[in-house]
Amino acid sequence: MSHDVTITPLETQALFDLRGPATVLRDWAGDSLPAFPQRPNTGSSNGRATLMFLGPDHWILRADLAREDAFEAALRPVAAPPEISIVRISDTLAFFRIIGPEAGEILSIACPLDLHPRCFGHDAASFTAAFGIKALVIRCEGGFELAVDRSYLPMMTECLTAAAG
Amino acid sequence: MAGKRLAKGGRIDHDRPLRFTFNGRAYSGLAGDTLASALLANGLRLTARSFKYHRPRGIVGAGVEEPSALVELTGADAAGNLQATTVPLTDGLEARSVNCWPSPAFDLGAVAQLAGRFIPAGFYYKTFKWPNWQLYAPAIRRAAGLAAAPRTPPAEGRYEARYGHCDLLIAGAGPAGLMAAQVAARAGLRVMIVDEGTEPGGALLSRRLQIAGAPALQWVEEAVAELAALPDVIHLQQATVWACREHNYLMATERAPERPGLMERSWRIRAGHVITATGAMERAIPFGNNDRPGVMLASAVQSYVNRYAVLPGRRAVIFANNNSAYAVAADLLAAGGQVVAIIDSRADVPEAARALVPQLTVRAGHVVISAHGARALRGVRIAPLAGGPEETLACDLLAVSGGWNPAVHLWSQSRSTLRYDEALAAFLPDRPAQAFSAAGAAAGAFALEDALRSGAEVAARIANVAVPEIPDAQDLPYAIAPHWRVEAARGKAFLDLQNDVTVDDVHLALREGYSDVELVKRYTTAGMGIDQGKTGNVNVIGTVALARGLEPGAVGTTTFRAPWTPVSFGAIAGMRDGQLALPWRHTPVTQWNLDRGAVMYEAGARWRRPGYFPRPGETMQEAVDRECRAVRFGVGVYDGSPLGKFELKGRCVGRFLDFLYSNIMSSLTPGNGRYGLMLSDDGLIMDDGVCFRLDAGRWMISTSTGHAEAIHSHMEEQLQMRCPGWNVLITPVTSQWTNATICGPQARAVMEALGTDIDLSPEAFPFMSLRDGHVAGLPARVVRVSFTGELSFEVNVAPRHMRELWDRVMEAGADFGILPVGSEASHVLRVEKGFLSLGHEVDGTVDAHDLGMGWVMSRKKDDYLGKRAVAIRRAGSHGGAGRRELVGVLPEPDCPIPEGAPLTPGGRREATEGFVTACVWSVVQERWVGLALLENGHARQGETAYVRLKGGAVIPVRVSAPCHYDPDGQRLRS
Amino acid sequence: MLLITCPFCGPRNESEFVYGGPVKPPRPDPATRDDAEWTEWLTHVPNPVGPVEEQWWHARGCGTWLTIWRDTRSHDIVGAPHDGG
Repeated sequence: MSHDVTITPLETQALFDLRGPATVLRDWAGDSLPAFPQRPNTGSSNGRATLMFLGPDHWILRADLAREDAFEAALRPVAAPPEISIVRISDTLAFFRIIGPEAGEILSIACPLDLHPRCFGHDAASFTAAFGIKALVIRCEGGFELAVDRSYLPMMTECLTAAAG
Repeated sequence: MAGKRLAKGGRIDHDRPLRFTFNGRAYSGLAGDTLASALLANGLRLTARSFKYHRPRGIVGAGVEEPSALVELTGADAAGNLQATTVPLTDGLEARSVNCWPSPAFDLGAVAQLAGRFIPAGFYYKTFKWPNWQLYAPAIRRAAGLAAAPRTPPAEGRYEARYGHCDLLIAGAGPAGLMAAQVAARAGLRVMIVDEGTEPGGALLSRRLQIAGAPALQWVEEAVAELAALPDVIHLQQATVWACREHNYLMATERAPERPGLMERSWRIRAGHVITATGAMERAIPFGNNDRPGVMLASAVQSYVNRYAVLPGRRAVIFANNNSAYAVAADLLAAGGQVVAIIDSRADVPEAARALVPQLTVRAGHVVISAHGARALRGVRIAPLAGGPEETLACDLLAVSGGWNPAVHLWSQSRSTLRYDEALAAFLPDRPAQAFSAAGAAAGAFALEDALRSGAEVAARIANVAVPEIPDAQDLPYAIAPHWRVEAARGKAFLDLQNDVTVDDVHLALREGYSDVELVKRYTTAGMGIDQGKTGNVNVIGTVALARGLEPGAVGTTTFRAPWTPVSFGAIAGMRDGQLALPWRHTPVTQWNLDRGAVMYEAGARWRRPGYFPRPGETMQEAVDRECRAVRFGVGVYDGSPLGKFELKGRCVGRFLDFLYSNIMSSLTPGNGRYGLMLSDDGLIMDDGVCFRLDAGRWMISTSTGHAEAIHSHMEEQLQMRCPGWNVLITPVTSQWTNATICGPQARAVMEALGTDIDLSPEAFPFMSLRDGHVAGLPARVVRVSFTGELSFEVNVAPRHMRELWDRVMEAGADFGILPVGSEASHVLRVEKGFLSLGHEVDGTVDAHDLGMGWVMSRKKDDYLGKRAVAIRRAGSHGGAGRRELVGVLPEPDCPIPEGAPLTPGGRREATEGFVTACVWSVVQERWVGLALLENGHARQGETAYVRLKGGAVIPVRVSAPCHYDPDGQRLRS
Repeated sequence: MLLITCPFCGPRNESEFVYGGPVKPPRPDPATRDDAEWTEWLTHVPNPVGPVEEQWWHARGCGTWLTIWRDTRSHDIVGAPHDGG
């Protein structure tokens, strides 16, 4: 690798797709969720999970896989009122963690998004494209996390490896 | 030997010799040389032959403007059609001339020169048109050919393409660009400064000027160091901004990025603002035989002397119409060169210019009418501009300056406009069309202090800061009297050396009616090719202007298009090479399939699925038959994961689905589903799939594999743009559910062997219903759908469980002889059943009625997408008559029919009346069966239709119902 | 490569979007239109030289369907023309 970077595939993450008005979601989920982030394409964490605001009336809740069942029980997707939708989507995305002084270089090869700290701050998370594929990019300590549809995992592994040189 | 190396000076390392070969002969140059400067230092003059006439050509310029000295690199650096002036010399470089064989000195193609007067502009178009151009093209291309593409890619190294973002992109790190970068970066802007030279400084590298009382290059060094220390500045050298697209999106390529193994890197840059500080290029003055080796641009001579410590000739004559050449004369003298005279077409030469070289003879009001010498310049013939006695001056170097053209290419690519400036006799940037500014010589600020000020002012305006103090810099003011061509020229006077376009060619084009400058370009090819006419284009405009009695501004320029300089395909492609160019999507079973030797097919949306699983010694047909028989008579399993899947939630989902599908979905009860068609509003079939109701407010639909994204887009478009306020929330779950679809008479037995908490009896779990539960201990959603016509259980699990499920299915099914089934067998099974396939029977013209599926077109619903369009079409003048309708076909005699084969009336050579959409060997009928779209086919069942193959062979087919097997569907409901 | 401003995400590269065609008048109630009127609505797609309102889907982004006014001569994204102007 000619870039000073470490690329690690992550294990499956617990993910829940939350849609509908924030107020109804908050009322339904109670204190099981982190605070709802107010600014588009940012996330908020409470130590147990991260809630990312990724589209109009659209959030993704992320936690360790070990908490998946607990969140499922707390969020009760089947019973949720019609104004909101809660769907477990843990298996849809494959995550990579890209850490190191040149993590930004790798992301600049992959993504058209401007990831300068002024534009993509410490709490930023957004869908964009990576190597032409829809991808979720999240800023994390020391670098970025990148998630793509699981079916693209082998392709994304190859692309990131090639980008790292 | 004309040129020679100076003992000292220049931006080269006199102590680091580099070896290279040119046309097979060994030479030596110095670190810091270009191939061109090294060739000149070795006394080489004749470096190439011209494109059309194979005339001897030498080095004319010193950079990207070079029209003539084209070379091909061989060996490890293999590349074609490079300008010798832009190839940095490296140790071991192997180069050769293009356009000549066996060598430029003895070129067999040069016989074309003898025929030269018979090859005017448009000659090829006019002559080689019968029977067609293609007959002649290969031979002509070989004769006129430039270098071929390298046969093999470079053995080592890779390319990279990346994105970049900045507040301000500055193209050019000359005085104006660096000044602008300093001002903007100090103001806190994110600045990118990109320069195509091997080192920053631009024109300063080739001149002897002072800034703030010190050598100008010292100021350059300090400015670069300051920029390098700022965190938000990116400075790229040997990098060219070669294109501007919409909304300040620019392409740049780094030719020597500092990273091991990286050959080139391209950047796609979105810039808040762009400053073109791209400098200016000198133009030539066309006179007779102005292409002789030894005729060079004055600025190039200056560059060779000052930057490369090479004296390109022993006895120089200077031919100019402006002031800048006087500094060249001064620099030649300072380097110990001999200058015979300055021939200036202006009658009045400014005193400031003369004062630079008081000791030289200036022949004011004179012009060079022709150059002499066969393969190299031996002298020039001069005459008074107004006419009068001619005289010959012996020389081996003619330095020509016809004035300066701001490099407006990038500016113009942004659609920003130009204006013709009479005083500067040049096209200057006028109105920006995007967030663009021009600075320095690129904006017509030719003198150094003006260029510095221009850079500072433009950047200060963009950064919204005060203009800083401009360092003192002395330079000769620019003054010019344009001279577009020498009227009294004798011999060919070239406007475009690379394409061998002369003044006469332009006149011919004008006589033949190609009066617009764009047409002149296309007819003569002036300004095309590798150099894109950088030295000649404005002279073409001037020539047209003179001939048509217009001002150059009224003639206008041709359109400036990307790329500014040649770009390698590798850099554009970046890493998108080989496997990465078209990546495949995988399911958790992909590796299992590969391990079993499956032949993989593309299945749409980049998925790859097994086509069939051949056993050793088995043909494809044998493998497919075996898999089909397993499903029809035993049990098979396939991986149906790629099907698109969406979960829908909300109060309005039923109403929404009723609008999307042609049939009614809202009446579904929880746990039950229905097959349906989605139409576009023009009544054509977009997709088919199944729709299940999970509970009162939650639904799940599936789409065909290839249409998942399109249907997602369609649903969101309808919701967001057409149905605002409807309570429908959509979550794509294609990748949340993977499935093993167990199908065949023994499917239920395999399910029981797997173990499940779901009651599998047909009464408790009928066809087209869905149950959540566990299978083989894994949480699963089991769906009774069938794409094969057999009893099927689609067992959906999360991908994390899929591989385990698959292994358990194969274990549990082993006793029943379960086989994995590929898409070939699935195709056979669905054709036997007459089930639709998008892309086969559904081809973008048929509607549901054509397919015999009128039942799917709801009559109860007042409105749904496509209803009205189908009704209008059906009620039209033909009332549905003459439409191609889906039928089954049975070849008689029994034989295969190629997919897509046309049906014609009586098998005659007439307009087709349909085509065969599929034909397969049926394992249940033990014969070939097919499907076809046939005109009025529904009414023609039992008749014979005729397939007419290419070549005229005719196959009669019996028309039947589309379903060849189990028409009542008892098996799939079992 | 257009720079398209998504109301949720801000300016993003065109490559994140899918083109959705020019905006047509709202879909009429079929019960209130005769066949000719319906066919006119169905088949008439704006295709001006100049500003056109068109829709784009932020497919590789937040999923918003949005509209922009794009000048077909220049690719400039422009403001909506004033009514009657």
